[in-house]
Amino acid sequence: MKKMKKRARLCIALALVLLVGLGYYVYELARDGGDWAAYPGNGDVYTNGYLGKGAIYDRNETLLMENTDTGVPYYNESYDIRTATLHAVGDAVGNISTGANRVFADKLVGYSFLTGTHSVTGNGRHLILTIDADTCAAANGALAGRNGTVGVYNYKTGEVLCMVSSPNYDPTDPPDLSGEDMDGAYYNKFISSTFVPGSIFKVITATAAIETLDGLDSYEYTCPEVISFGDAETDRITCPYGHGTQSFEDALANSCNCAFADITLKVGPSVLEEYTKKSGITGQYSLNGIKTAAGTFDFPSTDLALAWAGIGQYHDMVNPCAMMVYMGAIANGGVAVNPTLIKDVTFANGWDADFTFKPGKERLLEESTAEKLDSMLHNDVVATYGEDNFPGLDLCAKSGTAEVGDGNTPHSWFYGYIRNEDYPYAFVVLVENGGSGAAVAGDVANEVLQEMISKAPMD
Amino acid sequence: MEALSSIFQSFPRLALYYTTVVRFVFVVLAVFIVGRAVISLLRAKTPPEIWGYLSLPGSHFVPILHWENVVGRDKSVDLHVDLMTVSRNHGTLVRNSRGDWYYSDLDSKSGSKVNGKTVNGPTLVRMGDTLTIGGVDCTLMPPSLAEKQRNVMMREKHSTRFTPWASLIALSIFQLLTCIQLIAAKGAELPFMVILAFLLFGASMWIYCSLLRSQGQVCFEMETIVFFLCTLNLAIVATSDAAGITTELLAIFLGMGLFIIMCWYLRDLRRSLAVRRILVIGSIILLLINIVFGSASFGAVNWVSIGSYMLQPSELVKIAFIFIGSATLDELYEKKNLTLFVGFSIFCLGALAVMNDFGTAAIFFVTFLIISYLRSGQFGALVLVGGVSAAGALLMIRFIPHITQRFSSWLHAWDFPDAGGFQQVRGMSAAASGGCFGLGAGNGWFHSIFAADTDLVFPLISEEWGLFIALLAVFSLVALGLFAVRSINFGRSTFFTIAACAATSLIIFQSCMNVLGSLDIFPFTGVTLPFLSNGGTSMLTSWGLLAFLKAADTRQNASLAVKSVSDDPDEIFEAADNDEGDYYARHGRARETSDNYSEVFTETHQYAGKRSKRSRSKLSEDVVEDVVDWLDLEADTPARKRRARHARSAKNNPKGGADR
Repeated sequence: MKKMKKRARLCIALALVLLVGLGYYVYELARDGGDWAAYPGNGDVYTNGYLGKGAIYDRNETLLMENTDTGVPYYNESYDIRTATLHAVGDAVGNISTGANRVFADKLVGYSFLTGTHSVTGNGRHLILTIDADTCAAANGALAGRNGTVGVYNYKTGEVLCMVSSPNYDPTDPPDLSGEDMDGAYYNKFISSTFVPGSIFKVITATAAIETLDGLDSYEYTCPEVISFGDAETDRITCPYGHGTQSFEDALANSCNCAFADITLKVGPSVLEEYTKKSGITGQYSLNGIKTAAGTFDFPSTDLALAWAGIGQYHDMVNPCAMMVYMGAIANGGVAVNPTLIKDVTFANGWDADFTFKPGKERLLEESTAEKLDSMLHNDVVATYGEDNFPGLDLCAKSGTAEVGDGNTPHSWFYGYIRNEDYPYAFVVLVENGGSGAAVAGDVANEVLQEMISKAPMD
Repeated sequence: MEALSSIFQSFPRLALYYTTVVRFVFVVLAVFIVGRAVISLLRAKTPPEIWGYLSLPGSHFVPILHWENVVGRDKSVDLHVDLMTVSRNHGTLVRNSRGDWYYSDLDSKSGSKVNGKTVNGPTLVRMGDTLTIGGVDCTLMPPSLAEKQRNVMMREKHSTRFTPWASLIALSIFQLLTCIQLIAAKGAELPFMVILAFLLFGASMWIYCSLLRSQGQVCFEMETIVFFLCTLNLAIVATSDAAGITTELLAIFLGMGLFIIMCWYLRDLRRSLAVRRILVIGSIILLLINIVFGSASFGAVNWVSIGSYMLQPSELVKIAFIFIGSATLDELYEKKNLTLFVGFSIFCLGALAVMNDFGTAAIFFVTFLIISYLRSGQFGALVLVGGVSAAGALLMIRFIPHITQRFSSWLHAWDFPDAGGFQQVRGMSAAASGGCFGLGAGNGWFHSIFAADTDLVFPLISEEWGLFIALLAVFSLVALGLFAVRSINFGRSTFFTIAACAATSLIIFQSCMNVLGSLDIFPFTGVTLPFLSNGGTSMLTSWGLLAFLKAADTRQNASLAVKSVSDDPDEIFEAADNDEGDYYARHGRARETSDNYSEVFTETHQYAGKRSKRSRSKLSEDVVEDVVDWLDLEADTPARKRRARHARSAKNNPKGGADR
């Protein structure tokens, strides 16, 4: 009999398996419960795939979308606002997987670990986004039907003020997307896509150079127009014309490919890789849980490929939001504030219903480097893009014209920030197949920023 | 009911407010009901019962605490005789339910004698008889009447009394509030039978407790826990399958009946042993009927329909499996008994394989492993067999296409929300929306998913009743089992302890498969959760398994399944109509209690289960003397000569430790 006592411990071990398993489940529930509850198959929250509760507002509490228990949501009355905020707000059936109505469904129904989705009032919550509907509409207007994205955020608070992705559509009249002209309409390109950066990547190459190369102040390079690395037509780095003798600052302002090829080779593949990683663009930012797409790069040791990689071509792919944050970091003395989309969650009566945490911060580059880049980026505007094209904006920026191959018109990029205590905004503009960076995307940026500074500062 | 439903109809907000408040009340009541029982179960000391003494020379008494004892030199035996001449497991001393003691020799080196006659096979040892093991004469002695009386007194003192009334009142309130909640949620849709079912069930638990209390039973912890689980079960059936509530209630009543019959049956060990043969034959026939006439239900052919009722024979065979796997101490040393058990297990597993019922097969297999380990104590073999089978299972999962497919979504349910993970994903999302306090019975949606009220009952409870009550339900299943494991300390027969441990393991492993399977932590195999899942056969079996747990509860008057001992001296005296009576007659009814004798007795109580240090102390010098003489006499083999030398040197040099 006594022998049985020891053997019976096996039963206790089995019970422990059950308890440990349950413990793990409770941990998972605490971690992912919101996502689980917000799963569209959950009949407690969705009816036939439609969320039945909650409303989404912009930062000025302009109603963007209100779910109703009939399954047909109510949207903002303005067509311009509906289309411009489509990707931020999302649609009724969840086709736009990064839309607030989909990803923040747990907040809209008022999920919490303790009370689940039960609500005493039976009503959902009000989700107040950081975006400004009018600015979004202006940005979408500036894109004028061209594919691309516009993002603006406050580099001090992290609040995303403008987030537009094109193509977009009117959620009250969703199109049949079998047609090809609406390619990518379900994607929020600002968050979920990556593109060839072209010359806008030179800012990161420049960062690596400033922090690792000696004697940059006296750097001089005479642009040969073409550098050949082999006999074939394609084994070359070219500039549109010979830029003449270039200082480091000139090389960035003129976006001189040959000079940046030279600088890239001096920096070397491992250092460039390290700085690309440090810049945060190969990582993912989490906008209240919505993950941005990670940028991808190859830094080969062959000179030609490495030179192209340092110029923002070769296999380089970047996410627009991450690039915008990098500009924000430069503006902010080297410290990036994580972007955020939720301003507040309230009960229907306006009472606070959720904790909002201050977004995280991370130093991406040295303060002195940021200062140096600040003056160089401003010089870009003064020397190349023309301050007259951006009246009233104390602008620092870099343009990019990214070759996409196959005979397609290059992507047009423009990103930067304005130096203004009341309007601490960093931005990124991408016009797909738009052509020249400064001219096309720069124009869009100007239009959006003009709209923004014409209004009272967004607190 | 109609009045209530019309009130809820005329004030639509009222139902919402009612749920909002009452869900907290449910948690408080549930914590009270389960907590009270679990605390009592865990606190309960199971005081030792002393069935007799083995008196060694030199006024040295070893108390006999079980019905089945191994005598030997090994430290893990029940009656420890610390002498080199005694084999590690020398023999067994077993009391049958009539109170007669039998001694069997376990092929010991030096053999055993009863009253000078060499033992071959089980030999009756009467009180006062001399049992000679390893050259030492021991005497079997009964406890004195005074001690027996004290024995019962002490047991009563240590047995915490658990009056069920407060729990039953709480449970009745719980049931009443549940009915109102169901009316609030379902309105006129709710069949009147649901309310009636709660009423009838509520009445039955009061009747059960009152009847047994009037019969002098005092411990109702297990029953109140199970009543609570059955209440949840009824609520689950009311939301998911209201039309089936009559059948479920019937199953609960049948289960209670089976429980009472089994408890009564298990009181008598001989009876319990005898029924096994019938159960083997019955089970084989049941499983064969299942294979021949069974109907397929989503992959597994594990149903047999009788008229309009569906029966799952493999569920009922679980009870038989435990009966057959359990064995008395003497049987554990028989090859025949083991062969029967292994043969029966192979048959069951084979039948389940044919029936394609993977989940139940896994439960049988794990129970088989645990019973085997309980019987043999060979951990190595357990690891080996378990490991090889796990490896085999993994290979099958990996390489047999249709099995691979079935397990492909395991741990990845969220990657296949509309394929292999369909049920689990919806289960987890429903469970999440329930939060800690639930949406209220009848307010959920998850019950419309296939098998929500059986295989996915944990998420269903989480959704409607909340995480707290769901966890509480599983904890109470674990507590039931662990209490049974604890009471092994003073189990009477290995038959009951093996049965209780096996039933516990079965319940807990099945809960693992069900609960963790529905949460995508274990493979989702579609087994039921004892007492909670909707299903008649499952409910019936759960009650049957509970009888095994109850049979291990040896507290005074605690268990219907354990014959209680009276504390009235006359009754004790009259009850001692076997040899104990003779012994008393020979030695006088109020036998003197020697100092040492009563000291051992008191210590045994004090150390509740731990053998007192004194009773393991060195044997006195004169015993060693006797043994040395005996060894000299019998020293006919080199090994014995060596032992004799050792014993002699130990005697001359006491510090060397004769009892090494």
